[in-house]
Amino acid sequence: MAAYLSMGEAHRRITDYLARFSDAVASQDVASLKPLLSLSSASPSLVSLADALNLLQDSNRLIKQSDRYSQFAEILAPLFRCLQNYRLHNLVDAYPAYEKAANAFIQEFRNWDSAWALEALYVIAYEIRVLAERADRELSANGKMPEKLKAAGSFLMKVFGVLAGKGPKRVGALYVTCQLFKVYFKLGTVHLCRSVIRSIETARIFDFEEFPQRDKVTYMYYTGRLEVYNENFTAADQKLSYALAHCNPHSEANIRMILKYLIPVKLSIGILPKDWLLERYNLVEYRNIVQALKRGDLRLLRSALEQHEDRFLRSGVYLVLEKLELQVYQRLLKKIYIIQKQKEPTKAHQMKLEVIIKALKWLEIDMDLDEVECIVAILIHKNLMKGYFAHKSKVVVLSKQDPFPKLTGKPVNA
Amino acid sequence: MMNRGGITETLAPPGTNSLEDRHVVDARHGQPSSYSTSTAGSEASSWTPQSVNNSFTGNGYSASSTYGYEQQTQPPRRDDMNGATEASSLSLGSTSVPQDYNGYMTYQNPTNSYGYGTTGYTGYYSGYQQQTNPSYSQPAGAYQSTSSPYQPVSSFQNTGSYPVPPSYSNSYYGPGDYQTAGTYPNSNYSTQTTWNDGNYANYSTYQYSNYPSTSSAYGSGNSAAASVQYQPQFKQWTDYHAPSEVSCAPGMENLSVASSSNPACPTPGVPNGTQASNSQPPPTAVPSWRPEPGLSGLPSQQPSVVAGTGHDNYWKQHAAPGFQNQNSAAGQSAFYQPMESKNAYGSYMDEQRSTSDQGSNLQYPVVHQAPQIHQAPQQISPALDPRRGSRVQIQTNPRIVSNLALGLTKTDKAGSGTTAVAKPAYIGVSLPKPSDKAMSDDVSDPALKHATFPKSLRGYVERALARCKDEAQITTSQEVLKELITSATADGTLYTQDWDAKPLFPLPDMDGLSNTLPTPPPLPTFRRSPGRRTKSRWEPLPEEKSINKMPPLMTEPVKYGGYMNDRNRKPYVGNSESKDGLNTKKFLAVEQKTASFQKPFKRQRLSDSLTTADNGDASSDSDKESSLTAFYSGAIGFSNTPEERKKRESRSKRFEKAHGNRVEINHFKPKSAVSANLYARRATAIVLSKTFEESGSKAVEDIDWDALTVRGTCQEIEKRYLRLTSAPDPATVRPEEVLEKALTMVQNSQKNYLYKCDQLKSIRQDLTVQRIRNKLTVKVYETHARLALEVGDLPEYNQCQSQLKTLYAEGIEGCHMEFSAYNLLCVILHSNNYRDLLSSMSRLSNDAKNDKAVKHALAVRRAVTTGNYVMFFGLYRTAPNLNSCLMDLFVDKMRYKAVNCMCRSYRPTVPVSYVAKVLGFAYASSVNGGSEEKDSVGLEECVDWLKAHGACLVADNNGEMQLDTKASSSSLYIPEPGGAVAHGDTSLAVNDFLTRASS
Repeated sequence: MAAYLSMGEAHRRITDYLARFSDAVASQDVASLKPLLSLSSASPSLVSLADALNLLQDSNRLIKQSDRYSQFAEILAPLFRCLQNYRLHNLVDAYPAYEKAANAFIQEFRNWDSAWALEALYVIAYEIRVLAERADRELSANGKMPEKLKAAGSFLMKVFGVLAGKGPKRVGALYVTCQLFKVYFKLGTVHLCRSVIRSIETARIFDFEEFPQRDKVTYMYYTGRLEVYNENFTAADQKLSYALAHCNPHSEANIRMILKYLIPVKLSIGILPKDWLLERYNLVEYRNIVQALKRGDLRLLRSALEQHEDRFLRSGVYLVLEKLELQVYQRLLKKIYIIQKQKEPTKAHQMKLEVIIKALKWLEIDMDLDEVECIVAILIHKNLMKGYFAHKSKVVVLSKQDPFPKLTGKPVNA
Repeated sequence: MMNRGGITETLAPPGTNSLEDRHVVDARHGQPSSYSTSTAGSEASSWTPQSVNNSFTGNGYSASSTYGYEQQTQPPRRDDMNGATEASSLSLGSTSVPQDYNGYMTYQNPTNSYGYGTTGYTGYYSGYQQQTNPSYSQPAGAYQSTSSPYQPVSSFQNTGSYPVPPSYSNSYYGPGDYQTAGTYPNSNYSTQTTWNDGNYANYSTYQYSNYPSTSSAYGSGNSAAASVQYQPQFKQWTDYHAPSEVSCAPGMENLSVASSSNPACPTPGVPNGTQASNSQPPPTAVPSWRPEPGLSGLPSQQPSVVAGTGHDNYWKQHAAPGFQNQNSAAGQSAFYQPMESKNAYGSYMDEQRSTSDQGSNLQYPVVHQAPQIHQAPQQISPALDPRRGSRVQIQTNPRIVSNLALGLTKTDKAGSGTTAVAKPAYIGVSLPKPSDKAMSDDVSDPALKHATFPKSLRGYVERALARCKDEAQITTSQEVLKELITSATADGTLYTQDWDAKPLFPLPDMDGLSNTLPTPPPLPTFRRSPGRRTKSRWEPLPEEKSINKMPPLMTEPVKYGGYMNDRNRKPYVGNSESKDGLNTKKFLAVEQKTASFQKPFKRQRLSDSLTTADNGDASSDSDKESSLTAFYSGAIGFSNTPEERKKRESRSKRFEKAHGNRVEINHFKPKSAVSANLYARRATAIVLSKTFEESGSKAVEDIDWDALTVRGTCQEIEKRYLRLTSAPDPATVRPEEVLEKALTMVQNSQKNYLYKCDQLKSIRQDLTVQRIRNKLTVKVYETHARLALEVGDLPEYNQCQSQLKTLYAEGIEGCHMEFSAYNLLCVILHSNNYRDLLSSMSRLSNDAKNDKAVKHALAVRRAVTTGNYVMFFGLYRTAPNLNSCLMDLFVDKMRYKAVNCMCRSYRPTVPVSYVAKVLGFAYASSVNGGSEEKDSVGLEECVDWLKAHGACLVADNNGEMQLDTKASSSSLYIPEPGGAVAHGDTSLAVNDFLTRASS
């Protein structure tokens, strides 16, 4: 398509871009600066510029011809190189060029007193992450070590350093933090999040609520996920609930992502979701689990876990869900207790082990005496059941008051 | 001064004894070294030589006469020299190397130049002065230096940090030696001094320049020097050494290798300075002795002698400043350095490295000889003393003579003894000649260097040198050749060019050479070194390693000197006597010594020099290597047993046969040459890679490692594991078939784990060095991993596991499932990391999830995460493979949790028998259908365990033990682990490990 692109036209496009860039910076007009940096937007102007650059190879001369442009040569020259490579779908080469341009941009940004270019910096932080991810995909497709995202991570850390101090630029820190989270979660180097979190949460000068809403939601989502990893369900619940509450109700994908972690967390503290919620956000993989919890159906829980094992393992909630088993036992015993109570109210608090075994058999789960005894012991130990077990007579003696305490928002005792 | 004298005297008696001791030691060292070189890196070979030494030592003492000789011959020269030297020496600060000189002087002075004179020295000195009138002023300086060295000696003894302080002091500075010297005719000393004068005159500028550098290095970084020496001896040091080399590479190239090599040394600047000085001086110096083959031999010898003395001085000086701890090492290193520097100037400036090495060697030996001479009289025959007064020195110091004689033989053969002497050092360095060459040069140069270059090139060099009529031409030709080769390597044509067809360059005329040559050579070397460094840094440096290997344990610098002498003696003994040219003999001896000394340098350089494409460098390196190996072997002083000696002798004979074509060289160089060849083979790869890098055309990644991979030839099934510190020697590496047998042997062995582990590690090593990655490899690792699991050797297991992971990933068949189960268990049981567990679980394939072992592991994981102790111990009972071994590590934790849980949920009591059953104490009973005995054993064990954890036990009416849950629930605790170790890993506690392994 560059065939009918005349040299003059190419020249014109490049100088036009240069002029727009320098004008935007000169007038501190971030709105017009942003599209100039947004590589992945694939805006027609950028595409045509890339074509022009590929035709007219000595764009550097154009940059240098005027002081107006050459003061940004550090940014523009690599940016042009990046555009060229990007246009040619050579992402592996485009990434380092973009990083170089971005580095030069941070230098400039540092020198600007006001935070007017924050939005442009957001664009850069976003672009560099996305570009790195794509470059890594290209690299691993070629059988090479993907390393660009890691580089993007360290670059973003640098950006974070620029923003994290006092002053008006601090508002942007959370956005970069979220980009960092995305990088780290993708790389599986979640432990690196900790330093960033610390710097966000310990800063007294800046109230967390002053950050932009979307950043807060994203931040809470990721930190909530981290708490899930740590099995800290109370904190996870709090953070994810915050994210859910503040998330834009129209961005259903985001809500779904939050719910994907929030539901298991809520389940583990004894709060079950309504079925319509699962329907609405297409989280039906949890439906059977919820059912199992409601019914005390151990078999259903196990089959549900087995059915979605891969998905749960990938999202990292498998172990959380597996631990629901005790709650299912609790539910089962409670059901037995209720039935006993209906039959023989006076002896209801004495539950024979054989009965439990029978119930389990009915669920097609084969467990011997010792195992069931162990489960009961664990249930008592974890305070899912009040009472004691008499080994000699193989009887569970339940407390007469609230033998099966509800969790009601508290996690099972460790 | 007086005090010192007194001290020396008092010390003297011990000194004599120590001297004797030292000789013995030396003998070992010296001989072994030569052999070892031949063996080419195998340590065993290095040891062999000892046997010869003894005989040699006896013979060798006659050498002292050589000194007298030299004096006579040299006088004329001295005069000439003196003129120059005097000027320089007197001025101290004069043009050539005033600064350095001054520094040098200062060193000497502190020690009090004349102080010695009062004691035995003065006598020497005076006598000496008289003899060498013209050079007098300088000699004085020399003397001073010598005196200073002596003082240091005393200091050394005091420090005694090194292993054999007494021997050390004795050998070099031993008061006894000095005393003898005092009584001694002086002739030795005087000669030396005179020589010094001569040397100074000749080299004044050079030496001085060199000296300063060395001295500075010493002062600043004696430790560094010490390190160098140590390195050879201790393998451990090798690593250390390598880095140091890298950093100092520039210095290395120059004369002061040792200094440069040492990390501590500030030297970088210094070396440069020295180089510069060297380059300049060469023209003048070279002509003086090279041109006159016959005469030159004498001068050269003299210089060497002088240098030796000078070295002593330096040494002493250096030592004196004292590095108390490292003294010995520092002293030696100091020697080396000075030697080198001298050599450098003495030799051709062009080839800085090579020359320096050689030169250093030359000088060095001299030094040693001097001490020996003194000793000899003492040790051998007090009666001889009277003779000493006269020139009979020869008689008195038979050993020395022998040493010298060796040198002489060489020289004689070469045609003019002197020339030969001179040549070996220089020529060898500069030219990469074929080892077979009859040239005297070759002698000095090990075959290694040659081996690294294409045959055609060697032929070319030979031709080029063959037409040279005199030494001067040879040297110039060498320089030209060196440049040629350098440039060829630089542009990558070294291996592609048709050297056979290439016309010889026109023979340069002398004058032009002197003018043109000096500067260029140094520069190239310089530039390269840095580049190399970087490369060498992460490249394998087999040569270095191999060298390191050689030196096992001994760390006596002192011995070194003695060793050198001995070594020289042995080879020469036979020859030396026949020849009259004592001077030449000396020279040769010197050379030999130098060679041996070079080794230490070599290492440092090795990386650098090898990398450098220069032929000269390479050759010098190889020389060094061989000498180094020799040195090491000597240093090791490993076994003095008769069997060892015999072995060594036979080995040395073998070598001689192999190199029979070499006429002159054979006598004393054969061993080193052989060794050099061996090294060369291994070194080739490295050199190749380095040269590639140099040419810049290839990255390290592009090197064809396949071509360089070792193919083992060892047929021994059993082999002890020894961590490689050098490139593997094919002779000690077992090929795949043998490894397979070895594996079966280990598998069927009844011996304990320690033995098996050792064997398996050596198998793994052999596999690795041969880059064998196949089913056998997997089998070996699996076998080892299982064995390690059985005895709970987790570190070893982890090593195997990580290897297996990559091996499986490469698609090599094995018990993949079994080991992924182990891996899973490891993650579950050892890391409390949720995410690790998740990721390793999500990585499991469906196949894996259906595997019995993996299923079991997953079930264990479940039991652990849910705290289901019944399930856990049930699984423990039914664990496939060695899963139970890994579960073992979690058993205690699980039991504690379980008892805690029981105490909370059971009321009022739980029978202990039930606890024992559920917690796996009595599992044997359930498996076997319940034999009472085992049951009770399990019960007892359980009771003990419960008691240890603070549980309350009560007996019920039937006398059955019950766990009082309510009482226990508050009293449970985890006892301090009995076998706790400070570092937290019980398996690292040797005693514990041994007991477990042997059980």
